[in-house]
Amino acid sequence: MEPLISIRVRDQHRPFRPGEELECEYQLDAVDADDIQALEVSVLWHTEGKGDEDLAVHYFERLVPADVPERDLRALRLLHTRLPNSPLTYFGVALKIRWCVRLRVFLRRGKDAFFEQAFVLGDIPKWPRAEQEEPKARVVVKPDEVEDEDD
Amino acid sequence: MARTFRLWGKKRGDRRTGSQLLAGVWEAFFFGTLFLLGSVSLTYLITSQVVDGAPRLFHPGFGYWLMVLSMVSFTLIGGGGVIYTVLHVGTSAERRSAMAKRAANLDLTGDAASSPRDYPSVPRDANLTNSPGIRLAYRLPVTHAGAWVLSAASAFFLVWNGITAVLVAIVVKGHLARAPDWFLTFFVLPFVVIGIWATYYFLKQMLLHTGIGPTNVEISDHPLRPGRKYQLFLSQAGRLQVHWLELSLVCEEETTYRQGTDIRSERCRVFCDRVFMEEDVKIEPGRAFERETELLVPHRVMHSFQAKHNAILWMLVVRGHARSWPVFERSFPIVVYPPPTESGDDLWSP
Repeated sequence: MEPLISIRVRDQHRPFRPGEELECEYQLDAVDADDIQALEVSVLWHTEGKGDEDLAVHYFERLVPADVPERDLRALRLLHTRLPNSPLTYFGVALKIRWCVRLRVFLRRGKDAFFEQAFVLGDIPKWPRAEQEEPKARVVVKPDEVEDEDD
Repeated sequence: MARTFRLWGKKRGDRRTGSQLLAGVWEAFFFGTLFLLGSVSLTYLITSQVVDGAPRLFHPGFGYWLMVLSMVSFTLIGGGGVIYTVLHVGTSAERRSAMAKRAANLDLTGDAASSPRDYPSVPRDANLTNSPGIRLAYRLPVTHAGAWVLSAASAFFLVWNGITAVLVAIVVKGHLARAPDWFLTFFVLPFVVIGIWATYYFLKQMLLHTGIGPTNVEISDHPLRPGRKYQLFLSQAGRLQVHWLELSLVCEEETTYRQGTDIRSERCRVFCDRVFMEEDVKIEPGRAFERETELLVPHRVMHSFQAKHNAILWMLVVRGHARSWPVFERSFPIVVYPPPTESGDDLWSP
């Protein structure tokens, strides 16, 4: 069964300024504590578009059961980080740069799942030819369990 | 239902379908086998020389050392592949990126860093500000848009005409000896036609690059910031009757991607703003066309960006059309930083 992952970014519906503090809560549910081997939370940007994906992590934390009281990684946790000056969120024609908080959980038998919550850094309007999208949450794509669209 | 084993998967760049765990196991198996094959064979080759002074299979010589070299390469490639695979299996992209960032931070104190410390992923401007200008602070370096066209035209011109010259020499020799090879004669004709066209095209590109005089652009400050004004100085030398000459501020997105075994790169122009345009200009030798103008970088535009596969490039582009010449274009890269956050807070207000 898939774990239930929730991420809540404070003030996520407004653009963040470079250098501003990002606050975020995250929690795991619908999974046994013993099934969780590790948890990774990161604040990162990644590109979308015609080119191969670029990705860079601004904040990264990895937790294993031994790091927390009662060895339970499901509890509600807080994340604080000061956002960098660049790169800003960008909706271009052939290139998009998106910021998100990503939570990845490693389960037993080598399985993992992730969930991410997008947010906007900066206030760069789209180019006239580009399509702008609202920040949204993206659910995991697990290669082991997803069929190809044209299969 | 998920399948644990499939004969083939789809891939584009680093993204691929199929189980990453299974792919890792196969990769480790392949490199492990290569490592074992290399190390066992290398051990046998060396010990056979040490233990048996006159081995029957391999005698010291060219073949022996070639075998040693091959087995050493098998061992190194196999060993390196196993280590690389083990480091990647079970490690998320975020964790690898965080490790790479920590490693990069160690180098950021030096000049080797690709981005300024306060502005990650924004390219450095060190190569753009190391040449002082005559009128303004910096003279910008030029990149010719058609340099690669000239290189390709030169290579094609040399190779094609070299082959054609050999064939023509054989044909002429046959005709002079009164034993003409008519099949070869007709076969060579299209080669000659293409050779003439290649010569014409090469000369045209050559003239385009050398016949039009140098273009210089100077700027009052660098790097640039959105919403701010800068002084620009343009000079165009040569002996030309120019129909029109224009200077534009341009932004392009550059994307690089793998398609099969090819690496492709594409550029998409997303912004172009003409700074000035001049018509019917006569340029005499020793009296270059000179113009000083003002550049306003628009508010709230994307800054320069450089990553491994994607980039946002800003540049000043000079285009002109001189009489008897095709349109020429010269680009001057610039770096645009994000808007200031402390002194220019008004830029961020809604």
